Amino acid sequence: MAERAIIGQYWPEESVVHAMDPRVKFVLSLVLMAAVFCAATPLSLAVAALFVVGFYAASRIPLIQVVRALAPLLVLVVLTALLNVLFVQGGQVYFQWGVICISEKGLQSAVFIGCRLLLLLMGMSLLTLTTTTLDITAAFERLMAPLARIGLPAHELGMILGIALRFLPQFMTELGVIYRAQVSRGAHFNVNPFKGGVRTLTALMVPLFASAFRHAETLSGAMEARCYHGGVGITRLNPLALTWRDGVGTGAILLMLAAVIAVNFI
Amino acid sequence: MRLAFEDVSYSYDGGQAKRRRGKRAAEKQERRADWGNAPDARWALREVTFAVEPGEFLGVAGHTGSGKSTLIQHMNGLVHPTCGRVTADGEDLAAKGVAAKVRSRVGLVFQYPENQLFATTVYDDVAFGPRNMKLSEDEVARRVEQALALVGLSVDEIGERSPFDLSGGQQRRAAFAGVLAMEPEVLVLDEPVAGLDPLSRADFLALIASFHASGMTVVMVSHSMEDLAVLADRILVLSEGSVFSLGAPAEVFADPAALKAVGLAAPAPQAFANALREAGFALNRALYDEEALAADIAAQLDGIANGTGEVAADAGNAAPGAACGDLCAEGGVDHG
Repeated sequence: MAERAIIGQYWPEESVVHAMDPRVKFVLSLVLMAAVFCAATPLSLAVAALFVVGFYAASRIPLIQVVRALAPLLVLVVLTALLNVLFVQGGQVYFQWGVICISEKGLQSAVFIGCRLLLLLMGMSLLTLTTTTLDITAAFERLMAPLARIGLPAHELGMILGIALRFLPQFMTELGVIYRAQVSRGAHFNVNPFKGGVRTLTALMVPLFASAFRHAETLSGAMEARCYHGGVGITRLNPLALTWRDGVGTGAILLMLAAVIAVNFI
Repeated sequence: MRLAFEDVSYSYDGGQAKRRRGKRAAEKQERRADWGNAPDARWALREVTFAVEPGEFLGVAGHTGSGKSTLIQHMNGLVHPTCGRVTADGEDLAAKGVAAKVRSRVGLVFQYPENQLFATTVYDDVAFGPRNMKLSEDEVARRVEQALALVGLSVDEIGERSPFDLSGGQQRRAAFAGVLAMEPEVLVLDEPVAGLDPLSRADFLALIASFHASGMTVVMVSHSMEDLAVLADRILVLSEGSVFSLGAPAEVFADPAALKAVGLAAPAPQAFANALREAGFALNRALYDEEALAADIAAQLDGIANGTGEVAADAGNAAPGAACGDLCAEGGVDHG
């Protein structure tokens, strides 16, 4: 159950997208998002959607897994769409009751914004679904490396990100155990959070934090025992290298960007 | 309280499990087929049927991943069976409100319970359970004092201290007291002595034995067959979610080969006794602990020295002393 709670968790598969360099994927996923933002008409959004679906096909991730990864985020999409329905006005009015007014423009913008948001989320998920957290942090670190010259601790930030991601499932599991232990002692967690809820929440959060500190101490000890001393002079077991796949990927994304912008003018 | 498991199966696949409930009867055959094709992973428990009788000490043993922890979480309704049912004195734990009621009567102590301490003082932490039971503050105070005394801590000395300032052993005692303060009839323990040093380990086991002696029903999960052999009235052995065997320690440990097949070993003295029997020693007791075994071996060896034993003949050419030496070495390896 814990693993399902993590949005867009890595899905191992052997595909072109998986084999791409994480740095390139990182940058390209940003470009992909920019392309989706560039789509100003329904037609160009459809073109963008076509490309995104194509990328998913190339990644060979099963459809059910994509749905599972996106399901928790759909609330966001639906909420945004609803806000648009209610607050964008204009055109023919279909329904009016008090302050609630559903109009033609409102529905149009709800569908448009909803689809755009969905595509953005799909673009982001494609990165996390096809890249291990270790690779994402490595990419993040390498891309930040130029900023280290102006004093930004790029390596440390990457390490923090990596450790945080690594311990997320661990803490989910531990929270589950603590929850069950406190329920065994008669705690009710589904009662009104405004009435005594804070007190019962401490029964979950304090042990969890205590455990986080314990893990942090053990981990820092283990890292020092392996001679970790920061990022200076660290080498990688599998050095990141560009391949033809990265060229193809970059080409595809640039084509998408160009197509979306071009269709905007039709 | 009598906790009865009737045909309990449990799958982590929650969504499917719920759908299955509706068409339980039609689906039973199909599920069996499932196990044949994919014998692992999906089912944590498979058609487990047994009962925890009032007043008994039930040991639960099994290889890692055999479903021990899932099993004990059924005992106070933390998880409900996918198929089958668990009843407490005849009431189905999955029925509305029953589990909440039963939780104050079935105390569940998780592995490393000290990791669940949270309050600012030991007193408040131990009082968490009784307060959740909506008892009066006087009654809570009485129970906290009594529970702490039971585990060998004094409310006057450490009641106002932070639980995080205590030593590891004291923390575990305090966490233990938190469950005892609910005055449960059944105490369910998941690996209660894991990670303790030998001395506090022995202390803790003596403590648990004393709870049982005072009339409490105890269910204890343990990896240590030695502890279970000494303490338990009955032992339940789980293997891949099914009941592998259930009975008195002597019965369960009678067949060391079968135990080995499910990833367990008989307690060291028992394993040694079995090996000696094969080498021709006449050891008649069903279950041996260290002292009984030592006494019987000494008696046999005395007999041989006096020339009256029939052991030497059975053991063939090998001198009993040499056979014993070999077995000792073997036993040592098993034990490690």
